[in-house]
Amino acid sequence: MSFLQICLLLAKGAGHTVLVTATCIATALVTGLAIAILRRQAGAALTRLLSIYVYVFRGVPVLVLLFIMFFGLPGIGINVPPLVSMMLSLGLISGAYLAEVFRGALEAIDTHEVIAAEAMGMTRMQALFSIELPQMLRLAVPGMLNEFTTVLKYSPFAYTVGIPEIMKQAMALASVTLRGVEIYLAAGLLYFAIYQLIRLLVRSIERKFAIPGFAQN
Amino acid sequence: MALIEVRKLVKQFDGRTVLSNIDLDLEEGEIKVIMGPSGCGKSTLLRCLNRLIEPTSGRVYFRGEEVTLPQTDVRALRQRIGFVFQQFALYRHLNVLENVTLGLRRLRRMPVKEANEKARYELGRMSMLTHEDKYPGQLSGGQKQRVAIARALAMDPAVLFFDEPTSALDPLMSQEIIGVIRQLRRDNVTMLCVTHDLHLAQGISERAIFLDEGVVHAEDSIERLFGDHEDPRIREFFRQGNGPR
Amino acid sequence: MSGIIPFLQDVLAYWPQILDGLLNTLLLTAIITVTGFAGGIGVFYLSLSRSREVRRFTEAYISFFIGTPLIVLLFLMYYGLPQWGLRLSPLAVAVIGFTMNVSAYNARYLTSAYKGLDPSELEAARAQGFTTAQVFILIILPQVLRLSVPALTNQAILNLKDSSVAFLIQYTEFFAQAQELAARNFQFFKAYVLAALVYLAMVSLIVLAARMLERRLVLPGA
Repeated sequence: MSFLQICLLLAKGAGHTVLVTATCIATALVTGLAIAILRRQAGAALTRLLSIYVYVFRGVPVLVLLFIMFFGLPGIGINVPPLVSMMLSLGLISGAYLAEVFRGALEAIDTHEVIAAEAMGMTRMQALFSIELPQMLRLAVPGMLNEFTTVLKYSPFAYTVGIPEIMKQAMALASVTLRGVEIYLAAGLLYFAIYQLIRLLVRSIERKFAIPGFAQN
Repeated sequence: MALIEVRKLVKQFDGRTVLSNIDLDLEEGEIKVIMGPSGCGKSTLLRCLNRLIEPTSGRVYFRGEEVTLPQTDVRALRQRIGFVFQQFALYRHLNVLENVTLGLRRLRRMPVKEANEKARYELGRMSMLTHEDKYPGQLSGGQKQRVAIARALAMDPAVLFFDEPTSALDPLMSQEIIGVIRQLRRDNVTMLCVTHDLHLAQGISERAIFLDEGVVHAEDSIERLFGDHEDPRIREFFRQGNGPR
Repeated sequence: MSGIIPFLQDVLAYWPQILDGLLNTLLLTAIITVTGFAGGIGVFYLSLSRSREVRRFTEAYISFFIGTPLIVLLFLMYYGLPQWGLRLSPLAVAVIGFTMNVSAYNARYLTSAYKGLDPSELEAARAQGFTTAQVFILIILPQVLRLSVPALTNQAILNLKDSSVAFLIQYTEFFAQAQELAARNFQFFKAYVLAALVYLAMVSLIVLAARMLERRLVLPGA
């Protein structure tokens, strides 16, 4: 079996890897944005609560939270499917990190622009959606790319809850053949290729929505 | 034999000639001012003399010894030249005293006590002794430049190079530094100063070299460079800003 | 919640193994934080090299280890190498794998801090006659380390959390012991939540230490 054949066999799992990565990224974006927006607009109590949530979810290992969701919850009567338990662990934890990335990006925006918008008659929410979010998303691109890459790199944990992604294929293959080194090397290259694809995708979206002269500060 | 002799110095960047056949002599105890518009190559010239930038061709002699050879000990050469920058370039993680003693301790391997003594002497000369525990972030521009000069003097250099020393300072602080350089001149320190600040040039020297697009166009008294010079480029450069004193 | 008392009694009974696991977690974390820190400085130094080949190679190294899951590297060494006759202990595999990974990240943080340095300070140091190595040790490194403290301490926290991955290559650290506890009394939920709380507590200690460190390193007038 040639190296190329190994790669092709492992690629069977690539679809699942991409699925896991994509759903977790989506979960992270939704929760991260929600938290960032709420922390900005809400009162002191809710903001405090959200900050605690972010702190807790950034302080717990992905593997532990995954096991809580998949192996732990059934013990108290809640059965969670594998993909959902990935989303509830990796997705929520990533969301907490993204919330911090968004917070930093929001703070970098010139407050005068928001004041000018309100002086024009916009409500706080309108200013948020038409002034702050568009800028925040562009400023947060490096942080988001970082976080998306991290999601990809934790996606192999999905094998522990039975999802047949690349890692699972690699382990199965390694146990029948005795070519572990090549197999895991191939797996690494496969992940690296997916990483490059994510980078290209994010960069091309960034270019498409780029604002000329925006990043001068 | 002059302290520094420059012969036919040429510097090219990507096919562009920045310095073209520069000849220059600097005698011991002398002060020379090189002036010219931005981009004329004066900062590049200074950096070619201590090989921070490598000349494309030409020769530089330091105390009669050629220093543009491949086997020249460039670090030893640089230790004999004190360099003062436009942006002061103080090490921001070190306080004033440490900034001045760093070279003494690490390059000359001086014991700390001796280095501190020497540093304090130079800081005193620059009237910065009371600030020895401060960090660069806590100093004004003029103060930073004085520390930078003290740092350069502490190594007992044969010559001081100034690269636009007042260009980042407001008029009041510029005057401070002009005063300091005049004091050094009275102490017979050999100096080479590059600047586009006419006020500084007038304050520290009677003569100046005019450099434009990498070529020396004149070396004359500042008075005459200020007056109605035949060369239209010189006229244009010296007429802007302040008029003759 | 029912059954907390019996659960805690189980924890107490299993305490020696849990403690052993905790110590193994802390051991691994401490080692890789130190080696990753030293490795990061080394890789960062190489990234500043005058030789374009060295710079290219270093950039490729950093890019590869930032873009590939750590678990793949660990599995390669632990399950793959024995087939070539090289059998390493779980701790050895973890240390080597984590060090290579963490060095790449730390080098990135140091490089980004380096971009914020005042280039005229570096020029002044060269003009004073310092060697490249001296400029690196006396001027670049002190400033870059200071600027990178938040990122480096964050990496220490990540190291602690990621140490749990080592259980997948049979290193009996804390999370592995938590699973043993869960397997004994089938209280998976309680055991894993307890594990999460313990990690949270350890992370909080690092956060506190990091804040103290940051306060001490602030330069007057900065």
